[in-house]
Order: sequence, then structure tokens, then C-alpha cells
Amino acid sequence: MSLPDWVEPVARYIIEVGLANTLKLSAIALVGSSVIGITLGTLLTIRFLPTRALIRLYIEVWRGLPILITIFIVYFALPTVSPSLRFDALTAGAIALILWGSAQVAEATRGAVQSIPREQHEAASALGFGWVGRHAFVIMPQALRRLLPPVVGLLVNIIQNTTIVQVIGAPEILETAERQVERLTFEGDIHAIEIYGAIMVVFFCISFPLTRLAAYLEHRLT
Amino acid sequence: MIALLGLLDLSFLQDTWSFVQDNLDELAEGLRNTLKVSAIAIAGSFVIGLLLGAARAHRVPVVSQLAAVYVEVIRNTPILVQIFMLFFALPQVGIRLDAFTVAWLAVTIWGGAFNTENFRAGFEAVPLRYREAGAALGFKGISTFANITLPIGGRIALPSSINTYISVVKNTSLMYVIAYPELTTVALQINALTLQTIETFTVLALTYLIIVWSLSIVIRLLESHLALPEDSR
Repeated sequence: MSLPDWVEPVARYIIEVGLANTLKLSAIALVGSSVIGITLGTLLTIRFLPTRALIRLYIEVWRGLPILITIFIVYFALPTVSPSLRFDALTAGAIALILWGSAQVAEATRGAVQSIPREQHEAASALGFGWVGRHAFVIMPQALRRLLPPVVGLLVNIIQNTTIVQVIGAPEILETAERQVERLTFEGDIHAIEIYGAIMVVFFCISFPLTRLAAYLEHRLT
Repeated sequence: MIALLGLLDLSFLQDTWSFVQDNLDELAEGLRNTLKVSAIAIAGSFVIGLLLGAARAHRVPVVSQLAAVYVEVIRNTPILVQIFMLFFALPQVGIRLDAFTVAWLAVTIWGGAFNTENFRAGFEAVPLRYREAGAALGFKGISTFANITLPIGGRIALPSSINTYISVVKNTSLMYVIAYPELTTVALQINALTLQTIETFTVLALTYLIIVWSLSIVIRLLESHLALPEDSR
């Protein structure tokens, strides 16, 4: 049994352009969210009111807004503030996903850092570690283990939320699928269910093992 | 600091306020549609979560397995693709749903799946000895559930289910892609006409933040109010 003729070019375009951009976007968003989120989350544990208030505001705003609105703000509103803040759709999407993702990671990091017993801080201080050394060599190695399950869970959400960048026309997997559906429909050949169905299967195959992994890591920790 | 705030200018606030006044009817209509779709979806996903969560926790044959498939499919695929499926793909097999139907249906299906997990976890967290105590008092089957599992497990599930409702409200913004006139769609239409981009997104963002933050405060209040006496051991 061979596949119908329309499948090959559609699948090639969606995989080579769409899936590649989705994976790239997910990777950038994951790394950016982790780096910024862990930094902000750790700083949030310092008892200095101005930084705490600012970081708290950052977390509550970017966690509270629908990601679509954040994408619009970065893509449409920032360029009106300054022309140097004009980004192409994929970059704007990556920035928006990092704003949202780093807020999630920051909140999780705060919890993880504060869950490390006070004795660990005191013991590290007694050994002569300063704040930075104490956090880098004693607290974070322990906190990062507790951070792993929520970050894997976040990765699933990041991968799924990259599709929202479709709205501003960034050529990720859903946008490329839509272009192919429209091209075929224009040629009088409608295959929307097959194509969007295939996209759902692709996401399921990526997400399902990751949600299982997150649940396993969570379970192992408790 | 105060001088800086002064520079951050009152004229911006005035502009934003007159923007709201100029477009009040459209914005109010958009907000009303956002709240309408959210309310339907919250009610719908509450019912779905309660029924399927109970079926999952009590391992009701067939229903439990079907519910598991439903939950895994919805949780592991992007909601935007689900919306595309309902609105742009189903007409291929002759099922044409209007934008309003897809708007509430998509978020109800999505919220129902997450809520099934919330309630399942809540019901499963009810200690077995409570149900044994119920059995000793003469409760049977469904009345054990209604009198023991539901009030205790429902309480445990409540904060996480409200978190799901918050996500439901946020996800209604995605109905922009099917041009359903909820808040986001309306705001972007106003922006296209007026080009008052900063004002548009200030109003849009603040409206969502007020809704989301209010619901978060409700969770916090409920968490302390509904905490089971045993939790404070």
C-alpha cells in the first residue's frame, strides 16, 4: 500500500520547516526560561524588599497574562515604543515564551530553594561560604533536583504553547500545516482532518513520554 | 522616585481612560462574551471533571478507560490544534460549528480533561479508613460517595480545579483565531482601526490580570478556609 500523492510534499514541508522551527523554538524557550527563572527565583529568596517586589510583579504579570496577549505585546506593542524593539515573528514568539516560562520557573525555584533546610545554609556559612558560593555549591545542587519534575512538566507546556506563535504567522508546525491545508483546499483537494490529525499525533508522541517522565521524577522524589 | 512617576506622565493615564470611554461599547461586549464563554466552560468542565474523576477514582469499568484516553489525548495535544480541528477540519465531514459553539466547546473539552485529573486526585486522596468508617455506619455504594468521598475529596480538589478555571479563562483569548468576538478579538479590531496600540494592550492586559488575580486570591482564601483539620498535624 502506498500513500496518496498529496502526502509526500505536505509531510516534507511540515517536518523540514514546521517541526524544525517548533523544536528550535522549544529549545530556546526552555533554556531561556530556565536561566532567567532560576536566577530570579533564587534572588526572590533574598529579604530585600525592592528586588522582591519587582520580581514578584514580573512573575505575577507574565504568569497571569494569556500567552497570546504576551505574544501580541512583544510583536505589536514593543515596536511602537521603540523601532529597535521590532522582532520577526519567531523571535517575538521566543521572547514571549521566555517571559511566561521564566515566571513559571522562578516561582518553582523559590519553592525549591526555600524547601532546603536552614541548617544547610548555616553549615555552609560556618564553612566560610559567602552568599554566592553558598547558593552555587550547596543550596542549588540540592534545589535543582527538586526543580527537575516541574521543569520537565514546563517543557511539555512550552512545546504545546509554541503553537500559539502561529497567530502572528511564525512558520512553526501548526502554521506550516495550515499553509498546506489551504494550498490543497485551493486546489480542490481537502485534507484538513488528516493533516491536523497528524499534527495532534506528532504532539502526542512528543508530550506523552515527557508527562510520564515528569510523573516518574515526581514520584521518585517523594 | 516621585519625580520619575511624574515623568511617567498622567497624560498616558488620561489617554488610556479616554480610549476606554471611546470604545466602551465594543470593549464591554467583548468582555461580556469572554465571561459568557468562560462561565459555560467552567460549569461544563466542573460537571465533566466530577463525573469522570469519580469514574476514574472508583475504576468504573469501560468509563474509566475511556476517560483516561480522553484525558491523555487532550492534555498531550495543544489546545490551539484542538480549536483548528473543531473549526477548520470538521467541516470536511459535514460538521459545521459556528464560532460561538467552538469557543465554548473547545475550552469545555480542554478544562474537562484537566478537571478529571484534579477530581480523580482529590477523590483518591480520601483515606480508605473514612470510607470504611462510612461502611461501618451503614452507608452503601453511591451514598458513601455522596456523603464521604465527595465532600472530603471535592475539598482537596477545589484549589487545583480553580487553577484549571483560571487557565480556561486565559484560553478563551485563543478564540481570536476563529474570530469569535471575545475580549482579545475585539481589542485587536479596535487597535486596527485606531492604531492606539499602547492603550489597547494596556487595557487588554489589565483586564485579564484583574480577572486572573481575583481568582488567584479566591484560591488562597479557600485554601486556608477549606484546609482539612488533619492537614495541620
